[in-house]
Amino acid sequence: MIALRIGLAALFLMVAVTVQTSVLTNIAVAGVTCDLVLIVVIALALSRGPEWGAIAGFAGGLLLDVVPPADHTAGRWALALAIAGYMAGLIRRETSTGPVGPLGVALTVVLGTAVSLFIYSATGSLLHDPSVDWGEFGVRLGIAAGYDVVGAIVVIPLVMWIMGRVVPARERRRVLP
Amino acid sequence: MLKDLGTPARGLVRSAGMPREIRRRRTVLVLVILACFTLIVLDARRSAGSPVEPLREAAAGVFGPLESTASSARQPVDNLRDRFAEMDRLRDENEKLKKDNESLTRDLNSSDYARNRAAELDKLLKLAPAFTMTPARVIGIGSAQSFNHTVTIDAGTADGVHVDMTVLNGNGLVGRVVRTTQATATVLLIGDRKSTVGGRLNASMALGFVSGRGEVAGLLDYHLVDLKARPKPGDKIVTWGSSDNAPYVPGVPIGEVTSVTANEGALGSTATIRPYVDPTRIDTVGVVTGPPARPPRAQLKPAPSPKVSTTEGKVN
Repeated sequence: MIALRIGLAALFLMVAVTVQTSVLTNIAVAGVTCDLVLIVVIALALSRGPEWGAIAGFAGGLLLDVVPPADHTAGRWALALAIAGYMAGLIRRETSTGPVGPLGVALTVVLGTAVSLFIYSATGSLLHDPSVDWGEFGVRLGIAAGYDVVGAIVVIPLVMWIMGRVVPARERRRVLP
Repeated sequence: MLKDLGTPARGLVRSAGMPREIRRRRTVLVLVILACFTLIVLDARRSAGSPVEPLREAAAGVFGPLESTASSARQPVDNLRDRFAEMDRLRDENEKLKKDNESLTRDLNSSDYARNRAAELDKLLKLAPAFTMTPARVIGIGSAQSFNHTVTIDAGTADGVHVDMTVLNGNGLVGRVVRTTQATATVLLIGDRKSTVGGRLNASMALGFVSGRGEVAGLLDYHLVDLKARPKPGDKIVTWGSSDNAPYVPGVPIGEVTSVTANEGALGSTATIRPYVDPTRIDTVGVVTGPPARPPRAQLKPAPSPKVSTTEGKVN
């Protein structure tokens, strides 16, 4: 069961990376694409908790770091998405063991986008990456957050439903009374 | 240290319920963050021997074909986007073509002399020798969130593409290759802040540097070496090329000057350039993989008769 879950999560992340780098960039809004990987990470975190969020964020971010056309120091997206995933998992644990409402999911996505973009840009600044432009940061964050919520409406229920199907019996009893 | 992190700050009653779980999840977080920092430190020096390189190779090996397949599936997406713009675009294009046709017919009547002369000058300067090109398709585009203006193309070392090769398309200069694997290559676009290209002002042959602004529209800055020279709006800029044609070959059009502002508190001026290549719409590109078909520095004959030189131009 656990192998199946890990396999499914890996599959989701790989599909997300591929789609984000080669399909979604063609319908980018002012150059900003939908962070599909972040959305999948948040969905995994919301359905499985902060550990899963952190590890899935690390794996997904690492893929974003090394899959071409990435040309920045590896580890930056990994750090950003790991922390965003962990926080999303905490939100799920803190509120209740039950499912998070639609508004909660939307706020989680906005928060995750803000945190991950900020960490990614801040690490870039610390490493003296000349391409990080804080003047453009606000605009791009706004567009990205809006776009991500739109993407999340489609992706998060799908991922959470599939992950919910492979929950072990004892946990299902605990989570869904 | 881990124990400290594992101690919850508030609510003893609550922490008594699941201290193990909290401790475990914090351990995971700390481990993941440490792993990230290790990666960043290992890769930060960007030297050739970065331990992350094999990882990049492997990722490109797996995701290159995937991206290639996904790119083929983007036709419907493109159609959807174009459908809205299609009618307007066609009308504009029709008008523009009619106008172009008129002016071209007019030019044709008076241009033979100019064309011959230009061909001769071209031959003399060898500004635009015919390079060997490898065509490639764009299969991945960097997003604006990551501040990277890079694209992936589906040609790699197996096709003879190597680092520091010029990439161009039918309109002008696209960028240069910064990283290659077996079947893919990463191209740094000229609009990236890390990119600087030597540019020659077509009108006065003055030299300068074109640097990217990191904007989505791909606008570029142009600084002239000669501080007194003033570019004018409408001036065209081509590459002046590097030694051994790497990273940039000479004579590739870059863009057109749209506005000029004097530098504050310093000599000289900065020109804004609109590139000929729209960075959001690049699809098929060519990588300059070989030397020109003829040597770029042929010896000049002392007094070639004009008749001979024009026929030679046609043969070449």
